[in-house]
Amino acid sequence: MKKNLFIVLLLIIAFTLPLYAGAYVMSVFNTILVFMALGLSWDMMLRTGQLSFGTAGFFGLGAYASVLIVTNMGFNPVVSLFVGAAFSGLIAFALGFIVLRLRQIYFAITTLALTHVFSVIIRNLSDLTGGASGTQLDTAIFGGNPTKLYYMILIIALFTILISEIFSRSRIHYAINSIRNDETTAKSSGIDVFKYLLFVFVVTSALQGLVGAAYAQQYAFVNPESTFSLNFLLLPLAMALVGGIYSTNGPIIGALILGLISEYLKLIMPYGHLVVYGIIIVVVVLFLPQGVYTPIKNKLLKSSIVGGDNNAQT
Amino acid sequence: MSLSLKKTYTIILLLAIFMIIVGFWNPNALMDGLQRGSLYALIALPLALVLGILGVLNLAHGEFLTVGFYFIYMLNNKFGMDPLVSIIPTIIFLAILGGIIYYLTVKKVVNKGHLSQLLITFGVSLILMEVVNIIWTSQARNVYTQYAYASTEIGGFRFGTYELLYVLFAVAVLVGLQLFLKKTRLGQATFAVGQNPKGAKIVGINVEYVYLFVFSLAIAILGIVAGSMLPRTAIFPAVGSPFTLKSFALAAMAGLGNLNGILFAGILLGVGESAINYIPNYGGWSDIVFFGVLIIVIIARSYRGAK
Repeated sequence: MKKNLFIVLLLIIAFTLPLYAGAYVMSVFNTILVFMALGLSWDMMLRTGQLSFGTAGFFGLGAYASVLIVTNMGFNPVVSLFVGAAFSGLIAFALGFIVLRLRQIYFAITTLALTHVFSVIIRNLSDLTGGASGTQLDTAIFGGNPTKLYYMILIIALFTILISEIFSRSRIHYAINSIRNDETTAKSSGIDVFKYLLFVFVVTSALQGLVGAAYAQQYAFVNPESTFSLNFLLLPLAMALVGGIYSTNGPIIGALILGLISEYLKLIMPYGHLVVYGIIIVVVVLFLPQGVYTPIKNKLLKSSIVGGDNNAQT
Repeated sequence: MSLSLKKTYTIILLLAIFMIIVGFWNPNALMDGLQRGSLYALIALPLALVLGILGVLNLAHGEFLTVGFYFIYMLNNKFGMDPLVSIIPTIIFLAILGGIIYYLTVKKVVNKGHLSQLLITFGVSLILMEVVNIIWTSQARNVYTQYAYASTEIGGFRFGTYELLYVLFAVAVLVGLQLFLKKTRLGQATFAVGQNPKGAKIVGINVEYVYLFVFSLAIAILGIVAGSMLPRTAIFPAVGSPFTLKSFALAAMAGLGNLNGILFAGILLGVGESAINYIPNYGGWSDIVFFGVLIIVIIARSYRGAK
């Protein structure tokens, strides 16, 4: 009950933010929500036991698909968001048949290499994509209105959260967890491992494409360097790790913590503020493998139970 | 995965034919590819060593190279030390740095899953790159030496001689590593640890020490790369990063534990890359060679493994 109240409160704050926050605060939260959605989608793939380094790649594909379809075919920008998502999902579907045979470092490295391949292909198809200098749109989506942009990103982030929750509550999560814990056992229990992996891979890639499309439409600009930047892999990954992997709440909390810290650091440290991300990744992997969310939750639960017992005794 | 002698000869023969074809088409492409390929192999050898012995893919490999570059740049800038001479202090510096970083981070995840290993080296790579960024900013820097631009002419074909140093160093490091692994006691112990860490522990090998030594050695070798490459390259904080993935491409192509194969693979991909680079209007596609080959090799291996 208390938990539901808390969620409703957060939602109210999120939806009413434009009423009292200025353009700067909105843009900060805009960025945080973008990385939150990416972190969640990365985590959803990780729940199957596959470490994907392809987040930036599918993000970039979605961004390019959405921008090119607006400039070349005159699509409505809002429709182009779905085109971006569909394109990333489609590419993921086709690649999934070969890539998802791989495991461990081979899967991780191949997805990272795919990101580079995408960016090299796009850089060299200069007639279509504008090559190394990229492509610009005449105007950002919704005419660049910050409030509307904020709501667009907020809705995408909430949609990602919703899908993540569906994944962790519906029957699918039994299959996903058992694949992560022991693939052979999962297979021998009759789970079609490949089918589930492909399904999750396509859904998460489509989400990344959707976020990429929204991001590109917001800035009205794509370019191989910045659109396929590894920041779109690193930052979401660090956020999910800090919050705690294998859960919906972890990446959300991590994105809020790191997003606010890095925004502050950016102001006092023009060069190399990303070093904080590196230190956080190392520290979390070494000392907090579960992130901050799970230990705090357990502690709270424990203390409330203990408190209850004490009350009963007295 | 060890190759039979006959198979090795076939590979060398095919490589030679490929190089001769490229050489007739464009001698510049061949020379450039040979030099470039040796450099890639030189950088990939230590990565493959760590991957083979520790089983850890060090994603911070390229960033250690970057640190080596800046260390040599600093020696040159402050004390006017020649880059080639400063290889020696750099090797010592990198060995210590590698040892410290191994002790603080990698050591704790050697026996854990690949997820922790990849993430932690990812974190280390970010730290190294950003620390360089904080100290030296993102401005590009370079070191000028006269000899780096020397060239020779053979039968009307003019080429830079300095970069032949990469070929020399690549062969020397490869031979040195092989001799170390086969002839010295520590090398044999290293080999044993790479084969079976548990078994090595049972027969009394100090596995922890071997890991530390191998990691330090691998990072130290990057000092050679940094010193020989600096006169010809401008450096910036992300200069080493692309080499991590390229090195892994070579290691995956050669197969785990096949150090000789890395030199062949390096030269093959180097020549392939520079051949595409010399095709007018399509030069930009050369970047795809490594990643394309990497993906194809990994997937082909997975199919072969399934059978």
